[in-house]
Amino acid sequence: MKVYKIIFSLVCIVCVGVGFISIKKHKPTPLKFIVPKGWQKPLYDFKKNPLTVEGFELGKKLFYDERLSKDNTISCASCHQQFSAFANYDHNFSHGFNNSFTTRNAPALQNLAWQKEFMWDGGINHLDVQPISPITAENEMAETLENVIDKLKQDTAYQRMFKAAFGNDVINTQRMGKALSQFMLMLVSSNSKYDRVMRGKDSFILPEKLGYEIFQQKCVSCHKEPFFTDFSYRNIGMPLDATLNDIGRMKITGQSTDSLKFKIPSLRNVNITSPYGHDGRFFALSNVFEHYRKNMQPIATTDRLLKNKMPLSNFQIGQLTAFLYTLTDSSFINNPMFAPPANTKSTILHQH
Amino acid sequence: MMLSAFCNAVFAQENTVIKLVHKVGNQPLQLFTEVYTNQWNEPFTVNRFRYYIADLTIEYANGKKSYTYQKPYHLVMEDDTTTKALLLNKSLYKITSIRFLLGIDSVKNTSGVQTDDLDPMKGMFWTWNTGYIYAKLEGQSDSSKAPAHYFSYHVGGYKHVENAAREIILPVTINTSSAIKEIVIEADILKWFYGENDIKIQQEPICHQPGKLALKLADNYKNMFLITEVK
Repeated sequence: MKVYKIIFSLVCIVCVGVGFISIKKHKPTPLKFIVPKGWQKPLYDFKKNPLTVEGFELGKKLFYDERLSKDNTISCASCHQQFSAFANYDHNFSHGFNNSFTTRNAPALQNLAWQKEFMWDGGINHLDVQPISPITAENEMAETLENVIDKLKQDTAYQRMFKAAFGNDVINTQRMGKALSQFMLMLVSSNSKYDRVMRGKDSFILPEKLGYEIFQQKCVSCHKEPFFTDFSYRNIGMPLDATLNDIGRMKITGQSTDSLKFKIPSLRNVNITSPYGHDGRFFALSNVFEHYRKNMQPIATTDRLLKNKMPLSNFQIGQLTAFLYTLTDSSFINNPMFAPPANTKSTILHQH
Repeated sequence: MMLSAFCNAVFAQENTVIKLVHKVGNQPLQLFTEVYTNQWNEPFTVNRFRYYIADLTIEYANGKKSYTYQKPYHLVMEDDTTTKALLLNKSLYKITSIRFLLGIDSVKNTSGVQTDDLDPMKGMFWTWNTGYIYAKLEGQSDSSKAPAHYFSYHVGGYKHVENAAREIILPVTINTSSAIKEIVIEADILKWFYGENDIKIQQEPICHQPGKLALKLADNYKNMFLITEVK
């Protein structure tokens, strides 16, 4: 009897021990971030927010969750649609809470790991804090952080997913920001025809090749490869819209020399991210070209490269357009990894 | 359990407490209802008063290594009494000064979402131009031309030319022979309106961004603290 008792106790101890070890071992699965060949090191500090499969999945669920808005109708994805490289297709302004308009054009979300500052005026200094702005803005999702966190805490799926991603069931603003970053950081667009040509896997047809040469002469100093932006702020001679009164970068720096300067947008996926310009005033690429060669109004803070506007012939515009079409990355916009998670309402059919 | 509760009852209360008392001139601060008058004869009420105390350290008289408060970032809110008493984890003797940063260091302003008292949920955070609001004074004044006669001072800014964080050093001149039970620090809201700069509600009712006005306010209110009791 005694021997049995001892054996039983030993078995119990071993079982508990094994169980304890296996609980400790249950760590999230690391997710690899691949830097495309020839690209510089990302600026985002992955050490402070290591990518994991669980963190990414949580971020994706949050990105597509309309409960992040006040009346539970608007998600991040409402205005950042995958088929438009996560821009808001065909909308100069996005539609916010209670029939409101935003005052700027929603940018594409791509290659964010290499961005130092966010928004058209660069006012936001870290990707993790970026989502707080649209979530709380009255003319966007119009919700308070308290309410968002409360909604998440009440949802058993989120309780499970926060625990899986971060090791315990604490749900707070920081973790929400980190999870959303994990999803957004993975939005890397580096597989357009242009990229394949650069890797020697494809070749330009003649108009694309000529367009690339014109691009090298006229565009590349601001729309620098491989991101097709140098991330600087410049005034390209877009006259002030009196109803918006958007002074751009000056709003952040307070410097009059920054008046009407906006961040140079990336041209990756440009063909599928119309309209263009910080306020979406250009509905087609042809409007942008007309602006550069004819309509722009240079003022004191207009970039010196554009003081005499930008001469462009119809022929050059045709070739440039052909080249810009090669920046569309169909594998990015069709990647099922970024599509809405199962059992999420389709945001593509959204009524906004 | 009983023993530890007993120990806490006996020893915990020995630990020094710093109490923050908010006043307007000589009057105690009473939110919403009380009408005060500033140096420029402008009547005003106070609806909200909040500020951050960071890295609070206390210097000893005998040159011992200074004491550092266990909570690096503490948000003081007039409408939450618990935030106005800092329970130190030690009993202090013979101190010469208390110092802290009235504001948040640039690292915390630039490294993503923070937790606890620095959670952006606390409403001390600019979402469109990232950065913490270090101090907030809101109220109403007949002198204000802003909507509904509000005045609203949100002071912050971490970038080099806009840095509104202020180092506060408060000398302790009151001598104590035994362990200190309580230190009272008074903060006088009237100091927001004058000192290094004249701030008139009529002229400047709103400060909602880093920059010149925020710096002017910070240079005024950095003088609002005074140690009135050490016992």
